Amino acid sequence: MTFWARTYDFLQGDSRTSSLVRVAFSVAVVLLIWEILTATVVTNSLLLVPPLEVFAALGRELANGNVWTNGVATGVALLVSFPVAVFIGVAGGLILASNRLFSLTAGPMLMALYSVPVVALAPLFIAWLGLGFASKFVIVSLVAVFPVLVTTEVGLRATDKALVDAARSFNANGWQIFTTVTLPYALPYVVSGVRVAWARALVGIVVAEFFGSFAGFGFAILAAGQTFDTATLLAYVILLGAMGVIGSLVFESAERRLAPWRHE
Amino acid sequence: MSKTTALEISNISKKFERPGRPTIEALRDINLSVKQGEFVSIVGASGSGKSTLLRIVDGLTQATGGTVSVNGKIVTRPGKDRAVVFQQDSLLPWKTVIDNVAYGLAINGVSRREREQTARHFINVSGLQGFESHFPHQLSGGMRQRVNVARALAVSPDILLLDEPFAALDAQTREVMQTELLRIWEEEKKTVVLITHQIDEAVFLSDRVVVFSARPGQIREEIEIELPRPRDLEVKRSATFVAYVDHIWKLIEQEVRMGMKS
Repeated sequence: MTFWARTYDFLQGDSRTSSLVRVAFSVAVVLLIWEILTATVVTNSLLLVPPLEVFAALGRELANGNVWTNGVATGVALLVSFPVAVFIGVAGGLILASNRLFSLTAGPMLMALYSVPVVALAPLFIAWLGLGFASKFVIVSLVAVFPVLVTTEVGLRATDKALVDAARSFNANGWQIFTTVTLPYALPYVVSGVRVAWARALVGIVVAEFFGSFAGFGFAILAAGQTFDTATLLAYVILLGAMGVIGSLVFESAERRLAPWRHE
Repeated sequence: MSKTTALEISNISKKFERPGRPTIEALRDINLSVKQGEFVSIVGASGSGKSTLLRIVDGLTQATGGTVSVNGKIVTRPGKDRAVVFQQDSLLPWKTVIDNVAYGLAINGVSRREREQTARHFINVSGLQGFESHFPHQLSGGMRQRVNVARALAVSPDILLLDEPFAALDAQTREVMQTELLRIWEEEKKTVVLITHQIDEAVFLSDRVVVFSARPGQIREEIEIELPRPRDLEVKRSATFVAYVDHIWKLIEQEVRMGMKS
């Protein structure tokens, strides 16, 4: 009883070790289910291969330099377009939050654009901009900009009125209220928008590379799929998954650092 | 010895106009003058406009009619001669205690070194030593209100405006904070206007208690509290204290009952 109770308490605790144990456990369970599936239900290796073969393929791609080539193509496109998207999103959110009429006028249109799966327009952008960097840039920026824009506006409007009153009572002018109250209050919202945008950017880049490129993770996945190399295909999916998880962890910790009072 | 007038409230009225709905008359014809160094409390049923009056005195809200003057100058906006201790948590959650206390000074362009010095002084005055680098969410409600008081004192106002500062605290913490406030007031010699709905708090702290009627808020009665100073919590058990509380309670009770009928 006490042993199990103690184990349970440890596993649901906040310590670094217990969270590592939890992650390791969930990864192990997924790998186990995957292994069992390939051994019993889906034995056709065109459809699904066991985890070990995927890691072997990953090793092969690392050794022959393909991961590097594709990684540079995808990485450069993301590193250029994602910051641009964040910048435009924050700027747009600032503009929308600063003027009610503007927000009411542009809001519904932006909401519609946010809801449309922009990736569906990918073939059109490729027809306009050709294969390669330009179309990747536009597609990734477009999918990533909206979450940032929306959360920035929401964050700027969410400001606690009591804090604004306190600032005003100390004779703060509009600019001082903005820099010392409104902006810091909105920052964690912005970061949570950036986190969502990162996940969307990864989808955007893969789709852009499916349709219009000669290199990149999306290109490699498509190429592997067309040659029925399921192991290589899944190896690149794992790499993309890792990028998603790392980005998510980074932005989550930034959020926690910017707004510690929300997490206790 | 007659003291000079610090705060003069003359013929203040306030109406809230709301499009498509009936206008609310919050305050009607308020006249009140507060002497330098005097501690005045305003009590009244909820909705009697006492917080609105405080906001008008600070300059956060504009009156519909009448004037407020501080040291002879008419108030149109917040100024350095007044500071508010607000009722809710109005501390900046992303700033440490010392940065919160120094906030008003930073807004007014005081140099970093000077405002740190001043903030440290008022951190000591308010009994916050050792908590300088804590964040508000790491403090208890009582400690947070100490920070609120220290922040208001730091800008060295002539008049301290307190808007139900201890309403959210439990009874024991509230009593401790009341005696702390008295001690600080005696040390700093500020003019204080306190809004509260705790009658015993008003009597315990004040030189004078002003009782507001229900909406529209008007001054129903002013009561001089002639209890000897310095006061400690013992005084709350004295017959004179109980008589004051009883008298004010009856005034407010009538107002509440009338408010219920209308």
